[in-house]
Amino acid sequence: MSERDRFGANAHRYLDGAPHGDLAPEERREAERLLGAVQAWTEGLEPPTAALDDAVMARIRAKAPRRADRGWRWLVRPQPIRLRPVWVPLAAAAALAFWMLAKPEVGPGPTLATDGAATTVDTVFVRFQLIAPDAQVVSLAGSFSDWTADAYPMTQEDGGVWSITLPLPVGEHQYQFVIDGERWIPDPRSHALVDDGFGGTNSVVIVGPRGVVQS
Amino acid sequence: MMARHWWLAVLLSIVPTGLVGQLPDYQSQMTERGLPAALVAEVTAIAADATAAGLPAGSLVDKAIEGWAKRVPQPRIVAALNQFRVRLHAAQQAMIRTGHPEPPGPIVAAAAEAMAQGIDEAQMGEIVDAAQTPASAGHGLRVAAALAAQGIDGDEASAIVVQSMHRGWTDAQLLDLPSFANQMRAQGTPPQQVGQRLMQGGGSMAGAGVSPGMGSRPPGVPPGNPDQSGSGQTRTRRP
Amino acid sequence: MELSDGSVVRRVLDGEVELYRVLVERYRVKFGRHAVALVGDRDAAADAMQEAFIRAYDSLDRCREPDRFGSWFYRILTNQCHDTRDRIRPHADVTEVDPPAADATDAELERSELGRMIDVALDELTPEQREAFVMKHVDGHSYEEMAERTGVGVDALKMRVHRARDTLRQKLGAWL
Repeated sequence: MSERDRFGANAHRYLDGAPHGDLAPEERREAERLLGAVQAWTEGLEPPTAALDDAVMARIRAKAPRRADRGWRWLVRPQPIRLRPVWVPLAAAAALAFWMLAKPEVGPGPTLATDGAATTVDTVFVRFQLIAPDAQVVSLAGSFSDWTADAYPMTQEDGGVWSITLPLPVGEHQYQFVIDGERWIPDPRSHALVDDGFGGTNSVVIVGPRGVVQS
Repeated sequence: MMARHWWLAVLLSIVPTGLVGQLPDYQSQMTERGLPAALVAEVTAIAADATAAGLPAGSLVDKAIEGWAKRVPQPRIVAALNQFRVRLHAAQQAMIRTGHPEPPGPIVAAAAEAMAQGIDEAQMGEIVDAAQTPASAGHGLRVAAALAAQGIDGDEASAIVVQSMHRGWTDAQLLDLPSFANQMRAQGTPPQQVGQRLMQGGGSMAGAGVSPGMGSRPPGVPPGNPDQSGSGQTRTRRP
Repeated sequence: MELSDGSVVRRVLDGEVELYRVLVERYRVKFGRHAVALVGDRDAAADAMQEAFIRAYDSLDRCREPDRFGSWFYRILTNQCHDTRDRIRPHADVTEVDPPAADATDAELERSELGRMIDVALDELTPEQREAFVMKHVDGHSYEEMAERTGVGVDALKMRVHRARDTLRQKLGAWL
């Protein structure tokens, strides 16, 4: 086999990108020219244009409507349906449940779980307070109100104390106070302070059926 | 009912198909709250992915609504949701590793909170095992998280919850623990002592022999004094 | 904000058919040159891609990992390209190469000639060699990436690429 017919192992290593320190000059030249030829060729390749997208979509639209394929949805677990906590009138004694589990054997649609501890779930009145003598307006925003900034304006009492009492479902809630419609601050005296994920801090209150207890 | 029975019941009752149509209408929820269409679309996609992965999509949607209400820029909201999803996934995996396959959404959400406060997965597994119902498990995880957030050691916080459950405490009693601990803290008790007190069974109104509906006030403090309500909240009797 | 492949696949399966265009555009851009290199003819490559997208759409519910739609589609596309190439040019000969255009510059001449000869030489290769060569030199993958995509070992892939180059060198002998 002549030298031209056999492309040395080293040349291949060079083209593969491996170190090629000890390549013979002839081999190196050949390898580089081959590489150059291939590169020139690849650069000349022009991909299909956007007209392809139109053609594909036209054919797809012409097909019969796809029956929404739920084959992969066996991964979906029955999701607990959380009722949006709404303002409960003072006179109401409605029971709201948190984290209801759907009972599949009853049929489609969410139903109330009837585990023993939760059957007497209630709304409970909780009082929030903040000392902010320089504020013009203070309101309460939280998970129970979809964080609407002005849903629950607080009342100013003597000594720069702002307060509000509202009924909340039993369980955990997060909240902040909104000062003058702009400044969102947590309640330093809450049960816990947690990262809100946006660089801020939320207050946490955990409400039992007997309300928030004082020792 | 043995502790693990409810978990098995949840597993066995999972229907492979069928509940898809009953997924909550996240889009309307978000639109009502003023989220722009592009953000609604993006969050809906994230929620759909999460649902398919068995994660609580509702928590993610709520977080998006919160971000919008707080005027957080859209890209930041989406970034936060993706981070949240990662945390939810980690919580789900932790539950699975501790022998709880296919954990329900609320448990995953509560577990994510507990993990964020440094409760480790073995402890979370114990809390879930000690619970009589899924609701109790969720409450237990969140109570442990709140106690840990108040400075009580993660191990101790979990042990307090597990112990209370083993003692047959109701959810009502469990849910009292964080406010009880908060009161002690507001009165200057260091977290370590608070933890000890709770371990000894403090914080249970039943344990203290006080009937439901009544709280005791620290002596010498008149009602209505703002300085006295250390946590900023007082209980008012329901009408 | 860009939608992930996984989200698009799931939404299309859910009935949002128009969203499929996102994938079509994404992978036309990403794999277009790959298709042209494999097929050897631009129009035929566009046809092959179109066919591949339709096949992918028809079997979308069988895509086991929607988040890795790209890899799944890559296989469909490559198979389609090989089929198309075998159909349109079962075995070309070097002598069939068209004469260059009259007004081409020297560099263009050389490039077009080289291009055509490389193209013809690719016909001499097996589909596996051709694919490996294109993955290495058109797509620019490392051998590790190629192994991951094809499931074939790195050594076997190197062998295929080396054989492809040897064939090329023989064909281009006069030019080098």
